[in-house]
Amino acid sequence: MKHERVDRLSRGESPVHRLSPGLKTAAAFAFILAVTLIPFRVGAVFAAAGALLVLAIAAGRVPAAYLLKRLLLLEPVIAAVAGLALFQPGGAARFAAMAVKSTLCVGAVLALSATTPAAGILAFFRALRVPSILTSMAALTVRYVHVLGDELRRMRRARRSRTFRGGKARAWRSAAAAAGHLFVRSTERAERIYRAMAARGWR
Amino acid sequence: MSAPAVEIRDLRYRYPDGRVGLDGVSLTVEEGETVGLIGPNGAGKSTLLMHLNGILPDAYRGAPSIFIHGVPVEKATLLRIRREVGLLFEDPDDQLLSPTVWEDIAFGPRQWDWPEAEVEAAVGRALADVGLEGFGRLSPHHLSNGEKQRVCLAGIMVSRPKVLALDEPTRALDPRGRRRLQAILGGLDAVKIIATHDLELVAETCGRAFVLDGGKIAAAGPAVEVLADEPLMLAHGLETPHILKNGACR
Amino acid sequence: MHIPDGFLDAKTVAAASVLSAAAIGRALRGVKRTLTPRKVPLMGLASAFLFVAQMINFPVIGGTSGHLLGAVLAAVLLGPDEAVLVMTVVLAVQALLFADGGVLALGANLFNMAVVAPLAGYAIYRLASRLARTEAGRLAAVALAAWASTVLAAAACAGELAAAGAVAWPLAFPAMTVLHMAVGLGEAVITVLVLAAVAKARPDLLPGFAARGREEGARPVADVLVYGGLVTAGAAIFVLPFASKLPDGLEAVAARLGFASRAAARPVLPAPLADYRVPGIGSLPLAAALAALVGAALVFGLAFLVARRRLARARSAVPAEPRAAEPR
Repeated sequence: MKHERVDRLSRGESPVHRLSPGLKTAAAFAFILAVTLIPFRVGAVFAAAGALLVLAIAAGRVPAAYLLKRLLLLEPVIAAVAGLALFQPGGAARFAAMAVKSTLCVGAVLALSATTPAAGILAFFRALRVPSILTSMAALTVRYVHVLGDELRRMRRARRSRTFRGGKARAWRSAAAAAGHLFVRSTERAERIYRAMAARGWR
Repeated sequence: MSAPAVEIRDLRYRYPDGRVGLDGVSLTVEEGETVGLIGPNGAGKSTLLMHLNGILPDAYRGAPSIFIHGVPVEKATLLRIRREVGLLFEDPDDQLLSPTVWEDIAFGPRQWDWPEAEVEAAVGRALADVGLEGFGRLSPHHLSNGEKQRVCLAGIMVSRPKVLALDEPTRALDPRGRRRLQAILGGLDAVKIIATHDLELVAETCGRAFVLDGGKIAAAGPAVEVLADEPLMLAHGLETPHILKNGACR
Repeated sequence: MHIPDGFLDAKTVAAASVLSAAAIGRALRGVKRTLTPRKVPLMGLASAFLFVAQMINFPVIGGTSGHLLGAVLAAVLLGPDEAVLVMTVVLAVQALLFADGGVLALGANLFNMAVVAPLAGYAIYRLASRLARTEAGRLAAVALAAWASTVLAAAACAGELAAAGAVAWPLAFPAMTVLHMAVGLGEAVITVLVLAAVAKARPDLLPGFAARGREEGARPVADVLVYGGLVTAGAAIFVLPFASKLPDGLEAVAARLGFASRAAARPVLPAPLADYRVPGIGSLPLAAALAALVGAALVFGLAFLVARRRLARARSAVPAEPRAAEPR
């Protein structure tokens, strides 16, 4: 699952990995802001941005295959929406602008998350004084996504080993049932987590 | 005579659906003791442990039934009690809730608003105590069961509780993890109450044992005597561990 | 429909972000009012759950599969305020760690999927389940709400794209809404199936659901006003200016601002329908809106009939025992 790959990459070793998470997050934000706001006709800026991004990716030892795979998954959305612009007068320029800008921004986020553990990015937002309910929820999400993902995988494996007949309707019902059970188990786990938090003094 | 470390007087508890959980449990644990809490599944062992630091019941009514070093466990004393009593739950994933090991161990001290420098020092000490120096920046899901459990233990010991309650601590451990846990527990300076099916552990580490069945204490006494009493063990869904049976292997 | 960075301009991002922040702020206050300590781990795990559940593939045709968004699922299982927060966290994590949706565009994506989808969906669920108080009716209400949440979120998305000048409204609105009317069917089916699975394993988690006719507590009027106001403001900013203008409204604006000569250049690809008109109905956006209304009625009716039939069949089978959740 995608969160496992990102997590493993973010724990790698490289000059970029060693930089402070806050610095990297802020830099990514600044990059995205600049790329989004600067008008596309200032072409040199975008060439420079592209070069900077490639540098960061290389220094961060982010595997090209991973980047391409993720880009491939995200590009259809970009292409589709930008593609709608082609049906309009003056669309070619707009299409190019949107495609380049969004690809650069996607690259920035991928580079950031592949070189910075999620906990570090989270700490950045806590420092920005995002409401604590949200950051606590985000921390729990980041922590338990792997646990729940494993549970789901186990559930579906167990189901598959008892399923002999195929068919889409059955597949949908099986998937939905797994999701339903995962939700129930998640609420029960949440109760146990609450007890563990309370046991350590949380109010 | 100072107050016992843990004193339980006629504790009764009903689950939310009405079933009887604990039906008049009374016991005392003295300073320095390590006791075992054994019994069949459904006996109420986990429920009993969760009363020790006030997680259950959900509401406090009537006279308190539990005293930790003489302090009654009731609504007003809950926060204080939770620093004195550390509870290690059965599934490490339920209590390892922060994105990194370091943050998780720091969770407790941060709740009590310790200054950051003290938190640093305490977390470092706790990691060393459980043999996990250098693990601070790791994420919990990268750890083995044994490592996860040691992190949980560190997270509890960081506040130096006087009473340590452990729920099935060796359930998911391999033999090496089990030995390591035993060694760590042996070095901890706290009263220990271990609820477990691992009867060998009870025989090896506990001075006394309590048999809990159907919400009641069915038997109590020196651990080895209780465990060696075969009819008693069988009557309560247990059995005498092999190391105590006459003759080594059959 | 996660909008990537680079499509929306500063003013649209700013407007959407302000609306989202206001709605999230309101949701935070609503949650704090009834906040028991248990709720934070519950909402945290619900976010983790939704994140994982959104990855589940529901095979459609060939290699494509549908996915759950879960806004209405969250709203029915946890409550509307909680659903806003849960969707917010899920979308934020997706944007910041996986580039699913832009980082700056997050404000817009939050408005569509964390504000409009759960709130409008929940409102529709409450209204619809008032009309049909049987169990089948409630399931049909959920189906309609889930479907509608997808379509409405898509409409808001189209509005943002149009407001930013990325895609013209007469193209964006029909394209997005018609596509998501189909996508919404998947959302409706998946939501109902998952809800049914939860209800079967733990009916106590859905207090208002299995019980017939028992009403959930009424929302404070202030809440309804604030949320309704925010969603309406969003509609006013992103949708109405375009809906009220005729399709050639954009051309009129362009002429006034002097873009007309540039626009006269031929589009790169020929427009699919000349002047975006549908014979008999008129403008494409209007046709799309009418289709949405008809679709809503169809979805509700169909869901109701299917639910009633399946429930009747299930009732003749042995009912499941509710599981006790207490530890021993």
